[in-house]
Amino acid sequence: MNGMAMDPGEPGGEPDHDIVLDARVQESIGRSLKAHYDDLVNAPVPDKFLLLLAQLEAQEKRASAGDASDERR
Amino acid sequence: MSAADFKDGLIREIPNLRAFAASLSGSMQLADDLVQDTLLKAWGNSDKFQPGTSLRAWLFTILRNTYYSLYRKRGREVQDSEGTYAERLAVRGNQESHLDLADFRTALAKLPEEQREVLIMVGATGLSYEETAEICGVAIGTIKSRVNRARTKLAELLSIGSLEDLGPDRQSAAAIQRAGPEIVRL
Repeated sequence: MNGMAMDPGEPGGEPDHDIVLDARVQESIGRSLKAHYDDLVNAPVPDKFLLLLAQLEAQEKRASAGDASDERR
Repeated sequence: MSAADFKDGLIREIPNLRAFAASLSGSMQLADDLVQDTLLKAWGNSDKFQPGTSLRAWLFTILRNTYYSLYRKRGREVQDSEGTYAERLAVRGNQESHLDLADFRTALAKLPEEQREVLIMVGATGLSYEETAEICGVAIGTIKSRVNRARTKLAELLSIGSLEDLGPDRQSAAAIQRAGPEIVRL
C-alpha cells in the first residue's frame, strides 16, 4: 500500500483529511528547509549580475541624456 | 522610485532569487539563467512595480512565470540537481549536517513542483501565505493544502530513508498515520 495512492490530487485544493504531523517532525522539516535555503542564499553572487544591472543602468542614462530628460519613465 | 533605488533593490534580492530558482529548477546553472532573465524583465517592466509593495513578491512572480513558460522542460532535461548541490556541499565544514542537507535536498527534489515551490516560499523566504497565494495565482486554502502535503511527503521520504539516524524517539514521532505499517515495523 503506497501512501501516494491516497493523495486526492490538487483540483480546487480540497481539504485533504488534514494529516497532522508530529510537531517535532514539522520542526525538523522547517529547520532543514531553512538550512537548504540559507545555504543557497549565502552562496557568493556571480559578478555577471552586477555587471548586467550596471549595463542596463548605463544604457538608460545614455538614452535619457539623448532625450534631454532624466526622468525614468 | 529612481532607477538607482530600483537597481539597489534588485541587487539586494539576487541571493533570494537564486535560492528560489535553484530550489525550483534543481540546478544552479538553470537558476542563474533564470535569474538573469528575471532581472532583464524586471528592469524592462520597472514602471509596473508599485513602490511600497513587496519587491521580492513581485520578482518571484516574474521568476516563477518565466520558469513555467520557458525553463521547466529544460530542467527535466538537465536534472543535475544532486551534482551541483553536492559540489556546494563539499566546500563547507561540518560533515554530519552535510549528510542531512544532502538527504533533505534529495527528498525535496522528489516533491511535485507545485508543492516544492510553496513549501520554499512559505517555509524559507519570509513570504506570507497571502503573498504566496498571489504569486501562484491560487487561493490561500490551496497554498495551505499544498504545504501540508509537501510536509507529509517529505516526512515519509526522510523517515523511510534514514530511520536509524532518527533514534527511537524520532521513529515514533515520524510515524504519521499515513505512512503506517512500513514505519511501525522498522
